[in-house]
Parts: sequence; C-alpha cells; structure tokens
Amino acid sequence: MSKETASPSLLTAVKELPGNVWKSLFRNPLPTNDLERSSTSFTNFFLHIHPVKVHKNTLRPLYTLGLGLVSFFLFVILVVTGILLMFYYVPSTAQAYDRMLDLRGSVAFGTILRNMHRWSAHGMVAVVVMHLCRVFLTGSYKKPREFNWVLGVVLLLLTLLMSFTGYLLPWDQLAFWAITVGTAIAGYAPVVGKDIQFLLMGGSTVGQEALLRFYVLHVAVLPATLTLAIAIHFWRIRKDGGLSRPADADPTPPMEMMGAQAGSKPSLPEGKKTYGLQGLVRGPLTKVNNIPDNTVFSWPNLFMSELFVFVMTLAVILVLALLFNAPLEEPVNVMHPPNPAKAPWYFLGLQEMVSYSAFWGGIGVPGIFVGLLLLAPYLDRSPKGVGVWFSRDRLLANTIFLTFLAANIIFVIIGTFFRGPNWAFVTPW
Amino acid sequence: MAVNLKRSSGGGTQVAVSRRRMLAWITGTGLVGSGVLSAVSNFVFIKPRATYGQPQRFSIGKPEDFPPGTRIALETRRICVVREGNRLAALSTTCTHLGCIVGLADTGFACPCHGSRFDADGTVTGGPAPRPLPWFKVTLAPNGEIEVDKDTEITPGSYLTL
Ligand code: HEM
Ligand code: FES
Repeated sequence: MSKETASPSLLTAVKELPGNVWKSLFRNPLPTNDLERSSTSFTNFFLHIHPVKVHKNTLRPLYTLGLGLVSFFLFVILVVTGILLMFYYVPSTAQAYDRMLDLRGSVAFGTILRNMHRWSAHGMVAVVVMHLCRVFLTGSYKKPREFNWVLGVVLLLLTLLMSFTGYLLPWDQLAFWAITVGTAIAGYAPVVGKDIQFLLMGGSTVGQEALLRFYVLHVAVLPATLTLAIAIHFWRIRKDGGLSRPADADPTPPMEMMGAQAGSKPSLPEGKKTYGLQGLVRGPLTKVNNIPDNTVFSWPNLFMSELFVFVMTLAVILVLALLFNAPLEEPVNVMHPPNPAKAPWYFLGLQEMVSYSAFWGGIGVPGIFVGLLLLAPYLDRSPKGVGVWFSRDRLLANTIFLTFLAANIIFVIIGTFFRGPNWAFVTPW
Repeated sequence: MAVNLKRSSGGGTQVAVSRRRMLAWITGTGLVGSGVLSAVSNFVFIKPRATYGQPQRFSIGKPEDFPPGTRIALETRRICVVREGNRLAALSTTCTHLGCIVGLADTGFACPCHGSRFDADGTVTGGPAPRPLPWFKVTLAPNGEIEVDKDTEITPGSYLTL
C-alpha cells in the first residue's frame, strides 16, 4: 500500500455509509456468476449449512415431497408462537385455564396465536410421520444413512413428547384426563414404571406439581433437545453425501476425463493437486477435474424452493388458524371424567389398544414398534432399491412397513370415530 | 493448506508425553466423575421428598348419614360408601386400569375411559381393568364417626358391622 493514498474525507464516508454498512453485513452482492453463487452460499451463516451445489434429484418435488422441510418449518412456527404465548401463560392450576380464556378474549392476536400453535403442533406430528414414510418407502435409511434414520426415530419420539406435554397446559377437562391416563400407562412399564410415573407427576396424582413439570419439559427441556437433534440430523445429511438418489442418477465419467490408459481399470482422477482439508473430509470423491455431474447451484435453485415451501407452510397454518379455533373444554373437574375421555387423535390408536390391555397396548406393542423402527437399517442390509419410491427390490420391506402403518391408521380411526360413551362401540352415522 | 497424511508422532520428549498422559487421566476422571455425580444428584433432586395431597385417613360422618341400602360416591375422596342393613364398606372409585373415576351404574360401576365394568362388589365384569376395585379399611372412631383409611386395603366382601 502506498502511503500517498489519501484517506477518504468524512463527507464521503457519510455519503457511502448505507452502502458500506450493507456491504459489511452481506459479503457478496446478489450473485451474477458461478463463483459468486458459490461464495454466497458459503459465506452466509444461514446458507452455509447447504452445499454450494446440490444434486438435481434432491430438488425433485415428487421425490422428497418436501416433508422434512415442512416438519422443520412447523417447528420454527411452533417456537415463535410458543414464545409469544409464554408471555401470558402461567403454569398454575389456579390460573392456567383463566389465562386460556384471556388469550381468547382480551389479548390482542391471542386467539390466532393459540390457533397457530395448536394446528402447527397437530400438523408437525402428521408431517413427521409422513416424512418417515417417505424415507422408508424410498429406501433412504440404508448405508450410510443408518444413523440419521435412528436420529429420525428419536426426533419422532421427541415430537410426540412435545405434544403430550403441551396437551396438559390449558388445564381443561381434555388435558387433565388425557394426562391422567397417559401417565398411568407409563406406570405399567416393567420395573421402573411406577418411578417414572411418580417423577413425571411429581406426586401421586396429576396436580400442580405435574403441571409445573410438564411446563418445564414443554418450554425448555424438550425444545432444546429437539433443536440439537435437528441440527445433528441436518449435519448428517450433508456428511452422508446429501440426499439419497438412485444409483444411476450420476453419469459415469467418460474415459478420457479419467486419464485412463487403454486396458487399465478406470479410476477416479488423481490430479497433481494437493488435497486440502476440505477435500479430505469429503471423502475420495473430491472433484479435481470437471467431472460431468447432475448438480446445480444451490443459489438460487435450492434456496428458492426452500423459501417457497416455507411460505406455503406458513400460509396453510395461517388459513387454518383463521378458520378453526383451537378447542378448549370445561375447566378441570377432578371428580368427573368426560365420557368418553379421549386423547388427541394421534394417541387414539394407543388408547384403543390400551382398552384391550394396558401393558400390551401402552408399553409392549409400541415398544416393539419403536424397536423395529430403530433396527430397520441394521436388519435390512441389502443396498438395493435406494432412491426410488416403491422399488421392486424392496417389495418385502415396503409391504411389512405398509402393513404396520395400515394397522396403526385403522386403530386411530376406530378410536376416533367408533368409540362412544364408556368406550363402547358406536357407528358414527 | 496441505495435510500430512502420515500419523504424526505427537512430538515432544518423554517428559512431555507422561505429563500429557497424567493431565488426560485427571481430566478424564474428573469429567466422568462429575457426569455420574450430577446425573445421580439430578435424579435425587427431581424426586420430590414431600408431596402435597389429600390425607389418606379421614372421617366421612356418622352412620346415620348413610341409611341402609345406600350407595353413595364421595367424589372428592374417590370412594363409594355402601351400606346394606347394618353392614358398611368403602370401595375405591379409581379405576384399576388407568386411573379414571368410575361412575355408579345399575350393575355396579362403569369406567368412561376405556369401558371397564365392575359389579357392585368391585369385581371386574368386563373391559381392560386388571384388578377389582380395592376395599378400604373402615372403622368406627370413639366419637361415633366412620373413619376410612385409604392406605389399608382389605379383602373384598369384609364389611364393618355397626
Ligand atoms: C423433527 C422432525 C424432523 C425434521 C425437522 C426432519 C428434517 C429433515 C429434512 C429437512 C430432511 C431433508 C430431506 C427432506 O426434506 O425430506 C431430512 C432427511 C432425512 N430424514 Fe428427517 N426430519 C425429521 C424426522 C425424521 C424421522 C422421524 C425420520 C425417520 C425415522 C427421519 C429420517 C431422515 C433421513 C434418513 C433423511 C435422509 C433422507 C435421504 O437421504 O433421502 N427424519 N429430514
Ligand atoms: S381407566 Fe378405566 S377403563 Fe381405562
């Protein structure tokens, strides 16, 4: 640097202030060429969890159906609306229900916030389950994605726990009796059941202690755990080489690009380049030469589709929140369970099974289900059929999965529509 | 940034290595130790020592309040008082299935939650309930009041004779 360069005058500094602030905030202007596109994805905190380039298969809407993304965005909506609700909610048996009435009656936007929170919670359970189905039916849990699948099962359980703990907070009849029954199910677990039940309720019945405990789990412990688990889930997607895709999704590199002499086995190009640290951790497939591939730049292709999915998710939740009010039953009456006392719909399959046997319906069968889910990628080791829906090679696995799924759905439907007072069989028509 | 792929020796003299090893041991023991300690103490912490609730022994009034032939559910106490002639008993109304409150029915008791049914003696006649409704110990206190002790279960069918 030459000493002659005069420092710019204060006046120019002031004139250029907005531009300079902007440039210090965003390192790159809107990209116009590939180098800038890479740089934008790479140097922005919120974008850098994405790869610079993404495989075309990943962007096919009909492949992922965007379900994992929708789950994530619903979680974001839940966190934002949940924090706002916390400003008015009091976890006390004397006040909780009145606070619900206040939200409805006197808090500005209280009703719509509560509706958004409630419908996103229901939606998240449904969408996470559909995402699980997508991952299974496309064989995406196979090597090297086994652990991310296991993590996914943990995410599903955390999502269910979130909604279970949140269910008590309005302290209305539905809440009280659903949690009375739910915690009693935990009591049937062998050996530790009674202790778990006692720890959850902080006493021997559902009361103030239980409400406080559920509140702490719902607003602090579980969301923090879920956030961490989602972060690892996303990290693993990158480290597992992006989303799964069919084996033939990548063109085989033409011979001359591989520097292969006639007769020798084709091998990946070994440029004269020294491998950088980034290249090493990404495995042996670091691109040195220009191997033709099926990728496109994340900016704007991936980012636009993600933004689109977010806007759609938000729009649907807003419309639902404007059209339908979250239910609020009578205040808790510890002497009279409503008849029938029903859990939220996604637990009604459980409730139906529990009405045959508390242990098998509440602990045994669900335990076996979760165990099978966790073990699926370690039991099914065949590498075939990855990356396509309903692959012929996966006929057996998919059939077993769909049978279990159908059984679950049938139980939910029976519990929802075919059970009346005293849990007697009724026909809804 | 080139990387040396050969495993590096770690460098340093013998003294540095043994010092590092000792540090690693102290740190490791400390970490594992505090992990175990905090897990245990957290568990002890969240397990309440005192619970707030209703007393398990209480009086329910004089025998005259329950004329022969009555079956009265005392909802706050979660019991049902039965009197036949000069015999009196108290049955639990907490369903042995999953803790809902059973209601009085013509045939005995019915649970609204998963449809368990009990006869007038509390014996299970249908539904998922695994056990009959417990009978609690009933005594006549010196002041003439009936006292129920929910901590003591007695064999079904044993009445207090007044
Ligand atoms: C809180 C809940 C969850 C969130 C927010 C979430 C988010 C995501 C996202 C954004 C993706 C990228 C692809 C896509 O959108 O489909 C993904 C992929 C994946 N998810 Fe989830 N997920 C959740 C739960 C689950 C569950 C319950 C499972 C299965 C048990 C699972 C297993 C996987 C696997 C194996 C992949 C990689 C799929 C592939 O490579 O094609 N996730 N997840
Ligand atoms: S709680 Fe009474 S039948 Fe389940």
